[in-house]
Amino acid sequence: MNNRTLNTLSTLVRRELWESPVAFKWAPLGISALILLFVVFSLIIGGRFDAEMAFTSDMLRQLAEQPTEQRRLIVSGALFSISAIFFQIMLLIILFYLAGSLFDDRKDRSILFWKSLPVSDGMTVASKLASACLLVPALFFGAIVLTHVVLLLIATVYGLLAGVNPIATFWLPASLPRLWSVMLLGMLVQALWLMPIYAWLLFCSSWAPRLPILIAIAIPAGLAIAQHAWTLITNFSLPGFNFGLIMLKRLGSGVLPMSANIEFGGNLQSIEFNEELFMNHATVLGYLGRLEMWIGLAVALLLLFGAVWFRRRATDG
Amino acid sequence: MDITIKARNLKRHFGSTRALDGIDLDIPPGRIVGLIGPNGAGKTTALKAILGLSSYQGELSVLGLNPARQRDRLMEQVCFIADVAVLPRWARVHQIIDLTERLHPRFSRERCMHFLKNSKVRPESRIRALSKGMVVQLHLALVMAIDARLLVLDEPTLGLDILFRKQFYSNLLNEYFDEERTILITTHQVEEVEHILTDLIFIRDGKLILNSSMDEVHERYVELMVRPDQADQARALGPLHERLLFGRHIFLFESGDIGQIKALGETHKPSVADLFVALMGTESAPALETAE
Repeated sequence: MNNRTLNTLSTLVRRELWESPVAFKWAPLGISALILLFVVFSLIIGGRFDAEMAFTSDMLRQLAEQPTEQRRLIVSGALFSISAIFFQIMLLIILFYLAGSLFDDRKDRSILFWKSLPVSDGMTVASKLASACLLVPALFFGAIVLTHVVLLLIATVYGLLAGVNPIATFWLPASLPRLWSVMLLGMLVQALWLMPIYAWLLFCSSWAPRLPILIAIAIPAGLAIAQHAWTLITNFSLPGFNFGLIMLKRLGSGVLPMSANIEFGGNLQSIEFNEELFMNHATVLGYLGRLEMWIGLAVALLLLFGAVWFRRRATDG
Repeated sequence: MDITIKARNLKRHFGSTRALDGIDLDIPPGRIVGLIGPNGAGKTTALKAILGLSSYQGELSVLGLNPARQRDRLMEQVCFIADVAVLPRWARVHQIIDLTERLHPRFSRERCMHFLKNSKVRPESRIRALSKGMVVQLHLALVMAIDARLLVLDEPTLGLDILFRKQFYSNLLNEYFDEERTILITTHQVEEVEHILTDLIFIRDGKLILNSSMDEVHERYVELMVRPDQADQARALGPLHERLLFGRHIFLFESGDIGQIKALGETHKPSVADLFVALMGTESAPALETAE
């Protein structure tokens, strides 16, 4: 990739941000604001029942007396749980964004303007994918960092009032560098893991005559139901392998924890809540070694070629 | 200088309809070509093929590039306005200008602002808040600020008031056009463009009915106005078309015996609109055979 290509790509990604400021910029900031408001309200209301903050201070002192390991689990675990809210909403936003990304300009015919610029169709598709895999995660990550820092600052104030050392009780156990770097890595690997789903949405978006998101859901759902019905009729049993369920499962079993414990068959995977669950770079990187990851990427590549093919013919006829 | 647009046996079918039925074209640089035809004649199909927006059969080369495969490279040298204003409605004016500046190596912001100077388009406005005419003004300013070798305008002044239309064509001619550039225009408002055209192409049912320079057109066709008593004499010379105006008969001839024609009455250059009616109109179906 030369310089010009990179410049074009970054300009096109900026275009996406200009087109969807609400979903990309204001949604993560809004979640931050809601979480912080909720925390502040809880503290204010709690303060009314908790005269002189005796109860709160007691809890903070208890936390300060916990062994280091335990403190780390509690503080970083709490921070991670909060970021999980961001991840879930981010995924929804990305799915809807991708489904509309190659459809909206076809609908309002502004595609003719975009096609009048010296930008290839492959580059256009790449910019949508880059926005979903890099831009949106980066903006959500920024909002998460902001939320974490403000929460820790609030905790610092309460810690000082309670007479505990805020650095030793909150900031060090939060293990921010490790927490944040695992999160960033996780977001990138997650994007690779979900690439076939992303590519499927782009593919549907590139040709769907209307309602691309519904078409993107209806096709695998229809196939899954048809396959179920067929095997049920012919074999009196349920299929062991189902296209629709494979997609659903991949969506549910993201790299990022909190979504890791959905298992079809009715039982939750028994996962012990420990640090390794969300604080381990190796667990995240382990996904890169899985066969499913590479099969998914190969499928994604085919679908992306399909999307470019349809994009090229979008103004035809 | 190379040929700007070269087409050989250009074809496009939609089901059984032949939108383009084997067209040959050679458009050199430094021309302003009017592509005129009734609705559904194949104008837009031809333009889309030239711009790499649709597929086709046959040979087509635009500035030495294959439009179907090299649209992105072609668009560095070509700019176009489609038949309706289609700027993205969510964008602000300054965002569109920024994007074009970053994505187009031959775009000049100064020129764009110069063309927008007299309009009511403000940088902070959203496209969706602009009137239809203002969107067209912005789009024309964007396109004219690109130093392109081929400019394609598909009904460029639709929805604009007469002041702006005059202004636009004057800008196009005085500030934009030169020997290196080619401009290809389709429009229904023929009267507005006829004095700036250097070449004229009539298209109907996917076939070229006329393809020549304006000079040739003026040499080849002549309009004769006669009193009713001389009408039969004029008819005997085999006109392409006849119409009545204030009791006078007006005949259109194709390069006949000019001396004979002039003897019958007043002659002048036919307007493009009259030529269009004469060559494409349904009334003169037999005459069309000779024109083809």
